Amino acid sequence: MKNKRGLEISFAWLFAIIVGAFILFLAIYGTTRIIRTEQTTLDAKTGKQIGILLNPLETGFETIKTTYFTMPVDTRIYNGCNDRRTFGEQIIRISQKSFNKWTDTDIDITFENKYIFSGNYTEGKKFYLFSKPFDFPFKVANLIYLIPANKRYCFIDLDDEVEEMIIDLGQENLILEEDCQDGDVKVCFSGRGSCDISVGNDYVEKRGERVYFKGDALMYAAIFSDKKVYECQLKRLMMRVEQLSSLYIDKSNFISQKGCSTDLNSDLLDLSNSAKDLKKSEEIIPIYVEDIKLRNDGRGVCKLW
Amino acid sequence: MVMKKGQLKIQQMAFMLMAVTLFFVLVAMIVLVLRFSGLKESATLIEEENALLLVAKLANSPEFSCGGSFGTTRINCVDADKVIMLKERIDKYSRFWGVGSIEIRKIFPDGGDVLCDKINYDKCGVIEVFSKDVNLLPPASNFIILCKKEISGGDIYDKCELARFLVSSEDKR
Repeated sequence: MKNKRGLEISFAWLFAIIVGAFILFLAIYGTTRIIRTEQTTLDAKTGKQIGILLNPLETGFETIKTTYFTMPVDTRIYNGCNDRRTFGEQIIRISQKSFNKWTDTDIDITFENKYIFSGNYTEGKKFYLFSKPFDFPFKVANLIYLIPANKRYCFIDLDDEVEEMIIDLGQENLILEEDCQDGDVKVCFSGRGSCDISVGNDYVEKRGERVYFKGDALMYAAIFSDKKVYECQLKRLMMRVEQLSSLYIDKSNFISQKGCSTDLNSDLLDLSNSAKDLKKSEEIIPIYVEDIKLRNDGRGVCKLW
Repeated sequence: MVMKKGQLKIQQMAFMLMAVTLFFVLVAMIVLVLRFSGLKESATLIEEENALLLVAKLANSPEFSCGGSFGTTRINCVDADKVIMLKERIDKYSRFWGVGSIEIRKIFPDGGDVLCDKINYDKCGVIEVFSKDVNLLPPASNFIILCKKEISGGDIYDKCELARFLVSSEDKR
């Protein structure tokens, strides 16, 4: 005889299943949230640690130095910046590969005293860094260039000075013309041939976009960074120039009371105003600082910097 | 009303399930509290590391360094004239280095604990560049040369003294 009543589940069982499922759901949801928070914490911590490890590069006196760091997993370092407050902010955001997916983090690690030049984001496990002082006309900051080890830059038609610097750096992903391979980013200093990046006297052209520079430090910055990053960091550098100019004006007035004559104040004030007004990189070209530098050098015992 | 045996069982189970849930919620909360106190600890450690790395190089940053003002460029040489003027505009730099306080203390000749300003800075011992109103960790320090311009008999000369550069980070615990 067939049983027509079907499967019989008592209310106690039904109750236990429903409440049990609810508890399990809560536990799984909670665990997922905790894992996500942990990942965000780790990303934020990594970002802060990377920024702090850049301290020796930023404030060092060395003319140029290279170093590297390696991450345990594939990592994306997002480079951002803003011009908030007096000095603007360097923003670092880290995303790491976890279970073959990039972690999603919206935590920005900010620094006011760092200037990192790189693409919008750099990806890899090993990252090279080198820094170079930026003078305008006084020392403003050490610019930090961040390049993933898996991205090779091939330099073509270099002048002696740049070639010497690339050789001195000894960075394995900065290659001279004779060692170039397919897939390398070609950086041409002559404008001939098919190049990914063209370097002129005072500009760098990349993907049809042009940014302007003054001096070697900004030239490398323009080569290794995206236009958006470069323009923003340049604006921040000019914010620091503005503050340093004012500081030197104050110092000049102060030491003039001790008998050190001052004749640079009006030039420094002009420089401070030009730096303050800078909106785009092309506006850096007419700012003439060589004369201020020469006049400061000629002040003997009363040099301001 | 007399409760049936089945109803009593369901009530027992409900209480049991609630007790089990509450137990796990409590355990999770304790774990989270411990975890977040660990976070504050590691934030403080990171700040400490920042101060330690910064103090070794900060004297060479443009706001402090002598540059070429006192002859050739020197490492760990701080321009006292510049720092005294920096103090006047320090509100703009309060977040700049990401530390809790920066102080320069003369060692030789010892200037005591007298705080320096524009007026007395020939006869003082401590230049308090800035100090945030927060809990501070013990400072990291570095030896520096503190130089300034002096005038004697109409001649301007460089006067350099031995000092300590002290950087404290914020205690976030």
